[in-house]
Amino acid sequence: MPVVTAVEAQQWLIEKIAHRLGVPSEDVPPETYFDELDLDSTEALILAGEMENWLGFELGTTTLWYHPSIKDLAEYIAEESAARAGENHAASA
Amino acid sequence: MRPRRDAGPAVVHRLAEAGDGLGTVFLVHPGALAAGVHRTLAEALPPGTGLTVLDLSGHPAYWEAALTGGRADTTVEELADRIGDELAALDDGGPRTLAGWSFGGVVAQALVERMPAGRRPDRLVLLDSIAPTPEYQQPDEALEPPLLLGWFAMYLGAKRSRPVDVDPQLLAGGGTEDGLRHVLAAAAAGGALPADTPPAGLRKLYGTYVDGLLRNNRLTAPYTARPSTVPLVLVTAERSLLPGDRTLGWGPLAPHGLEVHRSPGDHYTMLSRPDAAAVIARLVRPAASARRAPATKV
Repeated sequence: MPVVTAVEAQQWLIEKIAHRLGVPSEDVPPETYFDELDLDSTEALILAGEMENWLGFELGTTTLWYHPSIKDLAEYIAEESAARAGENHAASA
Repeated sequence: MRPRRDAGPAVVHRLAEAGDGLGTVFLVHPGALAAGVHRTLAEALPPGTGLTVLDLSGHPAYWEAALTGGRADTTVEELADRIGDELAALDDGGPRTLAGWSFGGVVAQALVERMPAGRRPDRLVLLDSIAPTPEYQQPDEALEPPLLLGWFAMYLGAKRSRPVDVDPQLLAGGGTEDGLRHVLAAAAAGGALPADTPPAGLRKLYGTYVDGLLRNNRLTAPYTARPSTVPLVLVTAERSLLPGDRTLGWGPLAPHGLEVHRSPGDHYTMLSRPDAAAVIARLVRPAASARRAPATKV
């Protein structure tokens, strides 16, 4: 599983959110807090499920709560992705 | 820059302030829907009647369990004591009524029985709560996909304020994946979800919903309720979680009487529909015992 960088995670999140909101990606700044978006908790969970499918690993559902902005969540995903890649590398060495 | 959130939802939500001595309704809420869903009830109450929602999700062990697999490191008794502490801190000595929706009713009933006799309310109002009695306590295995998927469709409809009508025949005997496809088709047809909603996303939403149910089921399973020392008033939804079950099992726990009323809507929309709120408001308003609507005595 390739490592996902913070930039890639941020881009993925912005594209998905922009699509859901029907606005251009430029209108969704990375600093945006999820609760400032016109996304309810249903849409946030659906987004989380789609993101897990893309990442190939499960994110705790509380992740969205504890990392409440796009930028913050993207950084967490990058850290988690790198940590998991490191674990897999160690296991296969 | 807004600080990172370190805690979950709050316990106390004051949706309407009391005035003119009309008292306050305290309503125990078990999550699933946001506490603000009770605003419809706040608007249906007579002006000056307070409504404070006590959200169990404010207890971290309870809240996080719905997001981390459905096993809560707490008990019904502990939740009741936690809510009781909040209630004691808010109590201004004025008239009050206690109510609970769904699993919140189970906790509210435990809370009343753990209060000193002189502090108990004159009645307890239960909104589509299933009794915590051996006949109604279920192992997890009893919650099979067709049942859960039907409830999930109801929940999704309430969350999105759009109908999600799935033919139960389509869910009967099927598995979760097939069932979710039918739920998604119905949600898209009713405008509750976009037609391009990814199955992985809906699966995540369903998994979180089921974990919340399992959490409450596992909390209820080992719990032994004391019979109520106050009369119980039960409001069942037309589309209750257990259709056709008039008392939801409360009879053995109601030696001082059980009134049963019916509200429009389903288990979830009974909280947001104005016609349901009108029924509930008549029953919960403090010191309104003499003005309550006709009911069936059990």
